[in-house]
Amino acid sequence: MAAPPRHSAMLSMNSAVATPQPMPGDMSQGPPQSLTPQPSQGLRVPSNRKTIYDRHLNRSRNAELSRASFAYLFAEMVTYAQRRVTGIQDLEKRLNEQGYPLGLRLLDLLFYRTTTTSSSALSSSSTSSSPPNRPLRILTLLHLIHGPLWRLLFGRSADALEHSVSPDTPNEYMITDNDPLVNAYISVPREMNQLNCAAFVAGIIEGVCDGCGFEAKVSAHNQPTEMWPSRTVFLLSFGESVMEREKVLERSGIK
Amino acid sequence: MSSSKASRIGEETRIDKVNAELVTLTYGTIVAQLCQDYDSDYQEVNKQLDKMGYNIGMRLIEDFLAKSGVGRCANFRETADMIAKVGFKIFLNVAPTVTNWTSDNNQFSLIFDENPLADFVELPDDGRAQDELWFSNILCGVLRGALEMVQMQIEAHFVSDILRGDDTTEMRVSLVRYIEDEMPPEEE
Amino acid sequence: MRRASRYPLGDVTVFSLIIINKAGGLIYQREYQAGLRSLSTNDYLVLAGTFHGVHAITRSITPKLPLAQTSPATTTPGGGGSAPPAGYSYPNPGIAASGLEHLETEKFRLTCFQTLTGTKFLLFTDPMTGNVDTIMNKIYELYADYVMKNPFYQLEMPVRCEAFDRHLGAWLRGRT
Repeated sequence: MAAPPRHSAMLSMNSAVATPQPMPGDMSQGPPQSLTPQPSQGLRVPSNRKTIYDRHLNRSRNAELSRASFAYLFAEMVTYAQRRVTGIQDLEKRLNEQGYPLGLRLLDLLFYRTTTTSSSALSSSSTSSSPPNRPLRILTLLHLIHGPLWRLLFGRSADALEHSVSPDTPNEYMITDNDPLVNAYISVPREMNQLNCAAFVAGIIEGVCDGCGFEAKVSAHNQPTEMWPSRTVFLLSFGESVMEREKVLERSGIK
Repeated sequence: MSSSKASRIGEETRIDKVNAELVTLTYGTIVAQLCQDYDSDYQEVNKQLDKMGYNIGMRLIEDFLAKSGVGRCANFRETADMIAKVGFKIFLNVAPTVTNWTSDNNQFSLIFDENPLADFVELPDDGRAQDELWFSNILCGVLRGALEMVQMQIEAHFVSDILRGDDTTEMRVSLVRYIEDEMPPEEE
Repeated sequence: MRRASRYPLGDVTVFSLIIINKAGGLIYQREYQAGLRSLSTNDYLVLAGTFHGVHAITRSITPKLPLAQTSPATTTPGGGGSAPPAGYSYPNPGIAASGLEHLETEKFRLTCFQTLTGTKFLLFTDPMTGNVDTIMNKIYELYADYVMKNPFYQLEMPVRCEAFDRHLGAWLRGRT
């Protein structure tokens, strides 16, 4: 399957750059000796072997950390991004780019966890075959984002999932979060009121979509209500190729 | 204040939580972004991480004081306990060991058994990162910034890291001086 | 102490809040009673600066005892008896001199809480109000959350954080 251009660009960056390497999909189960990519290269490992290959991937599954720590890191990410951009759109683009690789990685983690919990039959350690629950249709993908992805990141599902009602934009979908965790402590200055720092989350969603083979553009928009002052709508616009494939799958009755 | 009392404060301070993986992965993207922006100049990445940490520390200290309710420390040994057993406990849910004091009580080490920032991490295999990059260097800056706000000038740096193939992760912390007239009572 | 009772609050009338930065500059001012007569911005600036000065003076005039006269029981452990005769110490050396904490008239009470980082919170309440410490602590927590965790807030500058206004206002209004 042809990967979207941005996806492949991202992957090549990964190998070239100091990227923390989370959860390769094939590291999931079985004893360490069944693993292929032991660091046979030049990396030194501690004698107690506390490496990512020796520790279980689900170790941190239900672990919690301070929300403040996340807030400080995210605030520094915003501050750092701000120093290198001109204008709000540019800032949102950069935050989106920071979220994107997270989306790609979280996707692997989500698949790994849903397969190991739902079916124990799937224990082969072969790497290339996709797990059975990989979404083929847009709606399945959206439910994956609205439910499992949101729960993994924010401990609850998103608040709404809608399809564009306009006949001009059948490729647009909306996911709503009434109170995004990333914006919890942020007050955007009045002169920047178009800005929504949840562009970072939009980037995560975009990474998940691209990683699944659904080319999409995702953006975050302020839609405050009296009750939910930081209510945010994530707008997903799928590419033409995705919409065409969707029609073919529809005709062949694939869900 | 005794160190067991510090442990108790660390355990009992109530704070809001998030999924630990969100924190870990967010930190990972920050480091990866810096490595990209500075073209894998790891010295510069270390410096930038320290700077970010410094900015965080200057703000984080208020949260530490507001949520834990602790007062001024009587001496640097007490400060070390507060950092390890209250600060790290609240913000990273770990309690590094305080050890290797110098005889003048101005320098100690923090030994980390666990480091949530580095979960899932393997440094790039480029022949340099394991010698040059201190992946968790932001923590040094956090300590420097936080303590400066409570009138202590310190210096902090990592001396070993499991990610580099060392058997422990150790940070060295030195008191440079107390700032202004806010000197705590002499310990002598 | 400050943390004793966290949430139970009696009938409390909070008139207003002022926050003063380390240098004595006014960085926040809000009223919490509808229709309260407010001072001019300039008056508030002067008030903040003056209070800052008075606070520093009250700290510096804190009585200090000659070290030689302190009995061994009250000195710090290991203090020994060989202290230099020229030295002076606060009555209770374990606790730093605080500066002005309360100012009270028939009509109102001003409570000042200075954080260890040097920021001052000034709360104007009814003199009968109890539990001011609890309110102050909650204000400090909200400040740590909605001011210090906001990437758009610059340290020591005036506080313009809509989420801080909103949460503080809601908490002060909703707590009775």
